[in-house]
Amino acid sequence: MLNHHPSIEMLTDYAAGSLALSHSLCIAAHLEHCPECQQQVQKLEILGAHFFDQVPQESSRLDKLKDTFFERLEKQPTIQKNTPLADHAENSTLWDKYKVPYSLRQFITKSYDELTWMRLSPSFKIAILHNEEGGPQVSLTRVKAGAHMPTHTHTGDEITLVLEGAFSDEQGVYRRGDFINRDASHKHKPIVTKDAECICLTVLDAPIEFTGWFARLFNPILRRYHPHSP
Amino acid sequence: MERATQTQPNDHLVEDMLAIAQRRDQLALTRLFDHYVPKVRAFCLAAQPGSNIMADDIAQEVMIRIWNKAHTYKPEAASLNTWVFTLARNARIDYLRKNSRHQSSIDPEYLWRNVVDENADPFKDAQQKRDQERIQQGLDKLPPDQKQVLSKVYLEGKTHKEAAAELSLPLGTIKSRVRLAMHKLTIYIKR
Ligand SMILES: [Zn+2]
Repeated sequence: MLNHHPSIEMLTDYAAGSLALSHSLCIAAHLEHCPECQQQVQKLEILGAHFFDQVPQESSRLDKLKDTFFERLEKQPTIQKNTPLADHAENSTLWDKYKVPYSLRQFITKSYDELTWMRLSPSFKIAILHNEEGGPQVSLTRVKAGAHMPTHTHTGDEITLVLEGAFSDEQGVYRRGDFINRDASHKHKPIVTKDAECICLTVLDAPIEFTGWFARLFNPILRRYHPHSP
Repeated sequence: MERATQTQPNDHLVEDMLAIAQRRDQLALTRLFDHYVPKVRAFCLAAQPGSNIMADDIAQEVMIRIWNKAHTYKPEAASLNTWVFTLARNARIDYLRKNSRHQSSIDPEYLWRNVVDENADPFKDAQQKRDQERIQQGLDKLPPDQKQVLSKVYLEGKTHKEAAAELSLPLGTIKSRVRLAMHKLTIYIKR
């Protein structure tokens, strides 16, 4: 049983398709661990289908569109495009310690180790998955067992999804699958639990600023990877 | 737009789906086209008024997906409307992603699992029908202000923030309307 879930508003936006893709990525990864939220999303999709079914339609003639469509269908290759699930489902191999979530397999084909990890301290590494121009930054962080994560504040929302291991802060313990959404006003001091390293998926709407001694080392590096921040 | 009647079960359309899956029946596809294309177009125009090119393109894309994925549709796991809604939603997301100024390289194909899951669960059918009924009944009783917000979110593809701006209401009001609505629809259970 997980303790930390996305809010119902966020799940609604996800089911409606209006949530930013970077945030949807975190929701998708959470759903892989959370049957409870999966069920809610299914209901939210039923609700969406009701609005879809009753959308006011204009009575325009569609004969031309129909002709175009069937022409296009003829040209379609008969081989069906498999869903990415079928392509990659069994990609994770037995000797891998961790199973990469399906939603992240567009960035990671086999193992977290294939990523380019930047070591920012002896116990803290980061790998950028996706960096939109002027948009959010999607990254993985990897912190050694028992280590402190650097203290930081952020200028925008920060979503963290625990992929492996666990960490805690002033407000609780977060385990595999937990979804944590923090706004800009939040200042936290996470510590990884002593038993195992911790890998998290993190989405930042705006770049974080680290505070304290770490800042001198860290901020210039992150800024380099977030070239469009002020 | 208000309609109190129960959504008609699309039994004949479900049969058409089977005919496509089993026999590649193009006449069945034509009937699905007639039923769903006007809805998909309207769904797209609600988000981007006047964008007929976009609406036509997405409608065709949805029909191609119906044709290619008909064999994956399982009536016991989701109603056909729900299934087509998720196809339309995903096609709309994909179109907007590829055609917007802020192009994102995050592939939506990985982010929404098929509503039809692989393991057929004998209780699923009953559960799904019960959810359908509860949501339908709840919707009929929902106050218009709550319905309006949900319609903005689902049809117009607005985020809560955008809905708040458009209705000139504080974000908190929008959020509480959504929360209340979800509670009445038995979607949101307080944890
Ligand atoms: Zn959950």
